[in-house]
Amino acid sequence: MEGTAVAVCEILKYLIIHWRCETARISKGALLEGELVISIEALNSKHQANTLHCVTTIASAGSIFGGLVLKKILKEIQSILPGLSAELSWTSEETSYSQDVSGVTPFQMIFEVHEKPRTLMTDSLVIKNFLRKVITVLPKIRFNFSVKVNGILSMEIFGAENEPTLNLSNGIALVVNHQHYVSTPKFGATELLCSRIHPVLGHPVMLFIPDDVAKMGLLGELILTPAAALCPCPKVFSNQLNRISSASIFLYGPSGLPLILLNPEQPTSTIFKDTSYFINWKKHHLCMVPNLDFNLDRDLVLPDVSYQVESSEGDQTQNMDPQGQTLLLFLFVDFHSGFPVQKMELWGVHTLLTTHLSAILTESHSVVQDSIQVAVDQALEQHHHAVKAHQKLQASLSVAVNSIMSIMTGSTSSSFRKTCLQTLQAADTQEFGTKLHKSFHEITQNRFLHHCSREVKQAAEGGSSLTTGVCSSQEFGSPSEPNVSSEQVDGRKCLSMGPAGWRQEPGSRCASLGLRTCGSIGVGPWLALRVADPRLLLGLPGPEAEAGVQQLLPEKNNAEQSTEDAHENSSLELLAGTSGQVENKSLKRGSLRQGVEETRAFRSPRALNPSEAALGRAEPTAAPLTPSRNRTGPRSGLEDALWLQEISNLSEWLSPGSAS
Amino acid sequence: MAFAPRGPEASFFQVLDQHRASLLAALRKGGGEPAGGGTRLATSSEVLAAIENVIQDIITSLARNEAPAFTIDNRSSWENIKFEDSVGLHMVSHCTTRKIKSDSPKSVKTFALILKILSMIYKLVQSNTYATKRDIYYTDSQLFGNQTVVDNIINDISCMLKVPRRSLHILSTSKGLIAGDLRYIEEDGTKVNCACATAVAVPSNIQGIQNLITDAKFLLIVEKDATFQRLLDDSFCTKMSPCIMVTGKGAPDLNTRLLVKKLWDTFHIPIFTLVDADPHGIEIMCIYKYGSMAMSFEAHNLTVPAIRWLGLLPSDIKRLNIPKGTLIPLTKQDQMKLDSVLKRPYITCQPFWRKEMEIMADSKMKAEIQALTFLSSDYLSRVYLPNKLKFGGWI
Repeated sequence: MEGTAVAVCEILKYLIIHWRCETARISKGALLEGELVISIEALNSKHQANTLHCVTTIASAGSIFGGLVLKKILKEIQSILPGLSAELSWTSEETSYSQDVSGVTPFQMIFEVHEKPRTLMTDSLVIKNFLRKVITVLPKIRFNFSVKVNGILSMEIFGAENEPTLNLSNGIALVVNHQHYVSTPKFGATELLCSRIHPVLGHPVMLFIPDDVAKMGLLGELILTPAAALCPCPKVFSNQLNRISSASIFLYGPSGLPLILLNPEQPTSTIFKDTSYFINWKKHHLCMVPNLDFNLDRDLVLPDVSYQVESSEGDQTQNMDPQGQTLLLFLFVDFHSGFPVQKMELWGVHTLLTTHLSAILTESHSVVQDSIQVAVDQALEQHHHAVKAHQKLQASLSVAVNSIMSIMTGSTSSSFRKTCLQTLQAADTQEFGTKLHKSFHEITQNRFLHHCSREVKQAAEGGSSLTTGVCSSQEFGSPSEPNVSSEQVDGRKCLSMGPAGWRQEPGSRCASLGLRTCGSIGVGPWLALRVADPRLLLGLPGPEAEAGVQQLLPEKNNAEQSTEDAHENSSLELLAGTSGQVENKSLKRGSLRQGVEETRAFRSPRALNPSEAALGRAEPTAAPLTPSRNRTGPRSGLEDALWLQEISNLSEWLSPGSAS
Repeated sequence: MAFAPRGPEASFFQVLDQHRASLLAALRKGGGEPAGGGTRLATSSEVLAAIENVIQDIITSLARNEAPAFTIDNRSSWENIKFEDSVGLHMVSHCTTRKIKSDSPKSVKTFALILKILSMIYKLVQSNTYATKRDIYYTDSQLFGNQTVVDNIINDISCMLKVPRRSLHILSTSKGLIAGDLRYIEEDGTKVNCACATAVAVPSNIQGIQNLITDAKFLLIVEKDATFQRLLDDSFCTKMSPCIMVTGKGAPDLNTRLLVKKLWDTFHIPIFTLVDADPHGIEIMCIYKYGSMAMSFEAHNLTVPAIRWLGLLPSDIKRLNIPKGTLIPLTKQDQMKLDSVLKRPYITCQPFWRKEMEIMADSKMKAEIQALTFLSSDYLSRVYLPNKLKFGGWI
C-alpha cells in the first residue's frame, strides 16, 4: 500500500470513528448515514519526470460532522499518520464555515504527494477496496471517489443504502447481495434470481486479551461474532454449485471498520495460514489451502484471508475451478456491552487489533474455534441440503426422461411417435431424447429459481427504489431491495453486540499506540499534508512494506497485457496530455455491483457499446475528447512512449471493469 | 360326480333361503346389478393409448415451456367419496384433484416414479405379460424405497387412467384362502376344487377364472387365518355343507375382494362375515361390504353391499355371558378407530351396526373370536355359527 492509499484509508477510518462517536451520543445502534467525497487530481509533475503531482481531497458532501473542530482533528490525524509531513494552509472559506451559526462545519482536507502513475493506480485500487469493504457493513455511507489524471476524470460512487442487509444491531449491517462477494458473469443469467447470501450468525464469544497485549493498552472486554454464508445462495439450483470451491474471511473491528491486513506476513495473518486452526474442514470432506492470489482489480470486496479447496488427491484442475460456491466468513470483533469508548481510544483499539489480532485469537482459540465452527457447519449444512435436493432432482429427471424415452421408442404407434417428434421439433429419436432432457432440466430449474426469487421479491415489497437509477437494473434483477432486518433475511437470530466501549488509561495512548505527533502541522481552513515516505505510514520496515505492496499489486499475464497494449496504443493520442475537462459520462454494468452510479470521464470510443454511446450523446455537457500534447511538452521518443503507456495503463485501471 | 359331504337337514337353511330370496328380490327391485357394476376391462390398445396420451401431454407442456404435472383424483379425502347403499363407497364424478409436479422438490420423485411405472405397464401390456406389484418393486427396490410407494403409485395410475388394475397387467400377490363347495377353472386351464381338506389360495387372476360351480347356501368370510384354520379343522365346511369359506388374512387384498365380488355376482348367495368384536374387525368387514377410500375409484368391481355381519357381535358378549376376563379393554387407538367408523357415511343406513358399535363404545371392551373358546373349544363351529345361520343371527 502506498502513501496516498494509506493516508486516505487512515483518514477515512479516523473520520468514521469520529462520526460513530458523535452518532453514538444520539443513537447507539443507528447506522451511519451520509456522504464523503474523495478526489485525487493528478497532473504531470513539472519538476520530476515520469511522476504525477497528486492532490488528494477528502471532504464531506453534507453537514455530517457536527462539532468537528478542525484544529483538534488535524492534530489527531497527524498523530495517527506517523511519518507524515504536512503543509498547511488556510483558505478564506474556512472563516465562513467556522462562523456558521448552526455550528455545523463541513470540512475539506487536502494533501499532496508525488507518485509514479503505477503507484497511483495501485493506490486507487486499494482505496476502492477499502471503500467496498466499509460499505459492506456500513451500507448507508456513500463514498464519491474520483480520480482525475491530466484532466481525465474517472468517478465512482460506493454505497449500498438501498440494498438488503442483515442488521447486527451495533450500528453495522451486513449487505447480503451476493454481487459484492462473487463475480456474477461466471454464473448464468438464470442463476441470478436469488441474489442474496443468508448469513448464519455464530454465538458471540468473549476474547481473552493476552497480558503483553493488555500492557500495550488494549484493555477491556472484546467479543467476536462470526457470521458464515454461502455465496451464491445455495438454494439456487445449478450443476455449478455442487461443491465448495473457496472460502473468504473478512475481518472487521469495532464500528465496522476493516481490520486491514497490510502485509500477509504480519502476525495477524499468520494464524490464518493454518487453514484448520479455527475450522475443521475435514468433517465436511474439504481440504483447504491458503490462496495468496489477492487481485485488487476486481469489483468485489477483497477478503482478508482466502482459502481454496484442494481435492484430497491434489487435483490441480479442481483447485483453480472458480465454478463453485464460496464460503464467506465474517469475523466481527467489537466491544462487550457497557464499555465506554472515546474516539482516540477506539482508534487505538483498531490499531492494536490490526497488529495483535492473531495473539488475541490464539489466546481464545478454543472458544473462537467453537463459535466459528458452529456458524460454518450451519452454513455448509445449507450447501449439503442444496446438493442433496439437486441430486434428487437430477436423479428423478433422469428416471422421468428414460421412462418417456422407453415408451416413445417402444411404441408401435407411428402417429404417437410422429406427434412426439413434432411437438419437440426433433428430427429423430436421438434428437428427441436430447431435447427432452434439456427441456426438463431448464424448465424445472427455472421453476426452482422462480420459487427462490419470489422470496426475494416478497422481501423487497415496500422498499424504495434506487434513486441513482441510471444503473441497468433490468440486467441484474432488483437492485433496489430495501434494508431488511435479520429476521427478514433468514429468520435467524439477530446479533446484539451492545454498546461499544473502550477504556484506556489517560496519557498512555501515544506510547502504547506508537504514534508520534509532527510539530509542523499547523491549523488552517485548508489543510495540506505531504506524505514523506509511504512506508513509514505502514509502521513497517522497508522490505516488509515492499512485500506488502507487492502482494497488493495487481498482476496480469502476458496475454492480457499484450491485448491491452494493443487496445491502448490505439488511444494513446487521446490519452496523452489531454488538457481539457473531459466529461464523457457513461454507465457500466460493473457499477451496479456496488449499487452505485458511476460517471466515467474517459473511455476509448471503440470500447463504447451502442447504448453507452447513446448515453454519451445524450449528455449535453460532454466535451469531445480532444487530443492535445501541448501540456506535456516535447519528450524523447522512447521515454515519451513509456510515459504515455503508463498514463494509458492508469486510465484503463481507473476505469472500473475496463480491464475485464 | 364327486361325493357330496353330508350337511344339515334342508330345514336348517330355511332362514338362509329366505334371506337369499330377499336379496334377490332387492336386486330385482333395484334393476339388477348396480350401475357400473362389473365394469368391463379396458383392452390393451385402450391402455396403451391412454399411456401415450399421458406422455403427449407431458411433451406438450415441455414444448410450451411449462413444467409437466400429473393431475390425480384426490383419493385420500372423504369429500371425494360418495356412499350409495347399492355400491358402497365410490368416488364422486367431479372430485378434487391433486397435482404431482415435476418442478417441486417434494413431488419430483413421485412424478418420475409414476413415469417409470407407466413405462413398465406399457411394456407389460405390449407383451401381454403380467407382473405383481412385488415384481415391480423388485425391479429397482432402491429407487422405489418400499412396497407401499409402488402400491400407491399403481393405484394412482389406475385412478388417473380410469383403468382397473387388472387391465394394467399388474397383479396383486394373493394372500387369501378359499375352502368349501366351489370348483372353477383358472385362466391357464387348471381345474380347482376347493372342497379338499386344505384351503386353496385365492387365484391371482380372478377375471381369468371360469366355470365356477357351487351349491353353497352361503359364503362365510372369516377375518383371521387362525379362525379360518380352526373352522377347517373342525370340518365346518362339511358340517355346514354346502358352503364356502374365504379369509383375507386380515385386511383383504384386491384378489380376495375380487373373488368375493365375483362369487356374489355369479351366485347371489348370502355372504356373512365373522370378525373380531373390535373396531379393526368392523373396518375389515366394511372393506368387503362398502370398499375402502383408497380403492373407491374401483368400488363397482370390489364392493358387495349384500354382506351381513354374522359375528362376533358386541351384544353377543353379554348375551353369551362371556367372562370379562377374556375381554380386552379398548385402547386409545381403538377408540379413535371406532369414532372414525361411526362417522362413516354408510353407518347411517346401518342402525343395528351403530347399536353394536355403541355397545362396544359403552363397555370400552373388545373381544376376539377366540373368546368363544372359553365356553368350549369347538363352541364356534359347533354351536355359535350353526345357531346364527339357522336362526338368522346376522345384521
